[in-house]
Amino acid sequence: MSGSLDVFLARRWEDLVTLTLQHLAVVALSLAIATVLGVLIGLLVWDKNVPRTAALTAAGIAITIPSLALLALLSPVLGLGWAPTVVSLVFYSLLPIVRNTVVGLREVPAHLIESARGMGMTPAKTLISIQLPLAWPVIVTGIRVAAQLTVGIAAIAAYVAGPGLGLYIFKGLSSLGSVNALNFTLTGTICVVLLALLLDGAFVLIARYSTSRGLRV
Amino acid sequence: MSEPGVGIELSHVTKLYAGQQQAAVEDFSLSVHPGELVMFVGPSGCGKTTTMKMINRIIEPSSGSITIDGQDVLSLDPNELRRHIGYVIQQIGLFPHMTIAENIATVPKLLGWSKERTNDRVDELLRTVQLDPAVFAHRYPKQLSGGQQQRVGVARALAADPPVMLMDEPFGATDPITRQKLQAEFLKLQADIGKTIIFVTHDFDEAIRLGDRIAVLSERSQIEQFDTPANILANPANDYVSSFIGHGAGLMRLALIPIGDVELDAPDSTAPAVDADASLRDALDLLMVTGAERVNVSGGGGSLTHARISAALSKARQPVEAS
Amino acid sequence: MSTRPSASRKPAAAPQPAAAPQPTAAPQPTTAPRLSLRRFATPLAVAGALAVLFLWLNTLTLDSIEQRTLNTSYLLDRTQEHLILTVVSSALVALLAIPAGIAAYRVRSKAVRAFVIALGNIGQATPAVGVVILLAIVWQTGFYTALISLVAYCFLPVLRNTLTGLEQVDHATREAARGMGMTPRQVLWRIELPLASPVILAGLRTALVFSVGVATIATFINAGGLGDMIVNGLKLQRYPVIVVGAVLVAAIAVLIDWAAGLVEDLVRPRGL
Repeated sequence: MSGSLDVFLARRWEDLVTLTLQHLAVVALSLAIATVLGVLIGLLVWDKNVPRTAALTAAGIAITIPSLALLALLSPVLGLGWAPTVVSLVFYSLLPIVRNTVVGLREVPAHLIESARGMGMTPAKTLISIQLPLAWPVIVTGIRVAAQLTVGIAAIAAYVAGPGLGLYIFKGLSSLGSVNALNFTLTGTICVVLLALLLDGAFVLIARYSTSRGLRV
Repeated sequence: MSEPGVGIELSHVTKLYAGQQQAAVEDFSLSVHPGELVMFVGPSGCGKTTTMKMINRIIEPSSGSITIDGQDVLSLDPNELRRHIGYVIQQIGLFPHMTIAENIATVPKLLGWSKERTNDRVDELLRTVQLDPAVFAHRYPKQLSGGQQQRVGVARALAADPPVMLMDEPFGATDPITRQKLQAEFLKLQADIGKTIIFVTHDFDEAIRLGDRIAVLSERSQIEQFDTPANILANPANDYVSSFIGHGAGLMRLALIPIGDVELDAPDSTAPAVDADASLRDALDLLMVTGAERVNVSGGGGSLTHARISAALSKARQPVEAS
Repeated sequence: MSTRPSASRKPAAAPQPAAAPQPTAAPQPTTAPRLSLRRFATPLAVAGALAVLFLWLNTLTLDSIEQRTLNTSYLLDRTQEHLILTVVSSALVALLAIPAGIAAYRVRSKAVRAFVIALGNIGQATPAVGVVILLAIVWQTGFYTALISLVAYCFLPVLRNTLTGLEQVDHATREAARGMGMTPRQVLWRIELPLASPVILAGLRTALVFSVGVATIATFINAGGLGDMIVNGLKLQRYPVIVVGAVLVAAIAVLIDWAAGLVEDLVRPRGL
């Protein structure tokens, strides 16, 4: 019952490239915002017991909320399209990023902090030039996890007219029974998988090149 | 061209942690001369490290006063203070994400030195601790052996040429052979730079080998005896100090007495020879190993017997005024 | 709809470093006592949120469309459907994926291991909504399709956590057990599985939370659940319907995660 895939692709590859780039763009934008926000929150709470527990617990609960529910709740307030998509992607990215920032900062050995303080570094300087670089590999891992998470969620955001490949996945559903239903959903899904895998690979490289050589050798 | 050491004065220093009945350090008073290497030695948990860390205010004293070169450290900004005190800890604490050169340049950078001055200083220090700058400056800490890392730790502490150094078991984590080598190098270095150093250790042998004076500490950092190594060995103040010295005090003392200090018999050309700048312990060792009656002191125009060595030891038992 | 990172309170480990997968990376920074008052903060907060929701509902005058969904029997039906989908699929996943993980472990073949890990990576990268809709297109719509796609979707993380949990058991411990004369089967049951249980349980907990989310999109293929309310509310522009559906589903997710966390802590062998 399905039309042949090669004809389908030949006719729509430009469309597909646009959607893939949109998908990538919305994920990248959300990750950038979540990274700034998440690392900032992490820097603020990592050494204070109550705020830290509160932040991690809140983020831990937040991430269990099904994304369709969140998108639906946001859409009356933020409308359709990019706005609810970006907000919800940032929302889900915060947990892995905040958590890994906190863990990364706390894992810095006490003697290194003592060393820095003993040489006359201020607490803020110690945090920025010693702890943050040492925690960086862990933080990047958090961003990487967030990336995997958001690529999948962005596909659902198409239901509230979010940008990206979700459009094709849902098009298959709405044209259920037509010749191209399977082609739409299949290409949409496969492109999301490929995008997620490519992004994961990209993060391996980003982690490698943004981490001090001294931590890698 | 390094800045000579300055005096340190601790008086009635006490540290009482919140919620604890007993003070960690109680009423500690001690005065360290400029350029002197003072060892704090005592069992773990006796408060020796706490006492030392109050000098650069890593730990804030509860009461009492500490002065460096007459200046009250409690009146200074702690960060500014620490930039002028060298600090070496057992774990070394090299920053793994920075190169060796960047590690050494940490304090100069904090002090706002020019790039040129900093680079020159880094090279100079690497050579001082016998690491070739061309080879090591751009390596990372992980690429260095433990002994090399420890040398970098010392170089980093010396970077801004501080008059005072605090060292917390700096050689504690190295193997015995590396440790002896580092100790010897360190003594040579100190002879050159003449810093005022407070050096914490739990190893009494190390204290004897390195210290100008030793403060033997017991619980709550109480000073049981504060004197030169030779005097402590010859006249332990109490049972606590004796037990800390343990066995073999005689041999340790012999190691501290140079052959030049002893009256010699006529030379005996048939006897085995020992270096004139060796210690009595070396001479005794040679006597034992060779089974000879006496050893000849090379170039010194005399010889030594067992009896002479014993006599020197009992003579040294009379207390010598600490310098 | 996925809530990706495994065991939600552990630091996120790299999704799949080629060499050493680590479902649970660093030790937890804070250890809470097994049972304490703080334990019950989560259900209390959920109860509070639900109370606020119903108080708010009471202040509204509902039109006929809203009344059709915002009544007790409709809400109970949708909630029941949702829970059945979630619990049945998770039970099936536990029954299928844990034995499969043990089998994959005992084969001790590098190729099998690499295959499982690669499959896990691809599974992790696959959008749940794609799986659900694809299955509906090639097969049929309805409850069973939703159930199967849920099982398929949650199978891989549990399989992978079982495999890596068993693999990370300390080599010396295993050798000590063998040295005392335990058979491989005894080593598995008495040593390896208990030691791997925290990781396996964390995987199951993740699967449960996944399922709540994926069950929400089951509505797209006419499989019922609380997703119905969300989708209808959006279509008909009835905000109260959206809010009730979304809050209920969120409450279920949070409570299930909480309950699973509780079980995880109670079942974990003492001393770990």
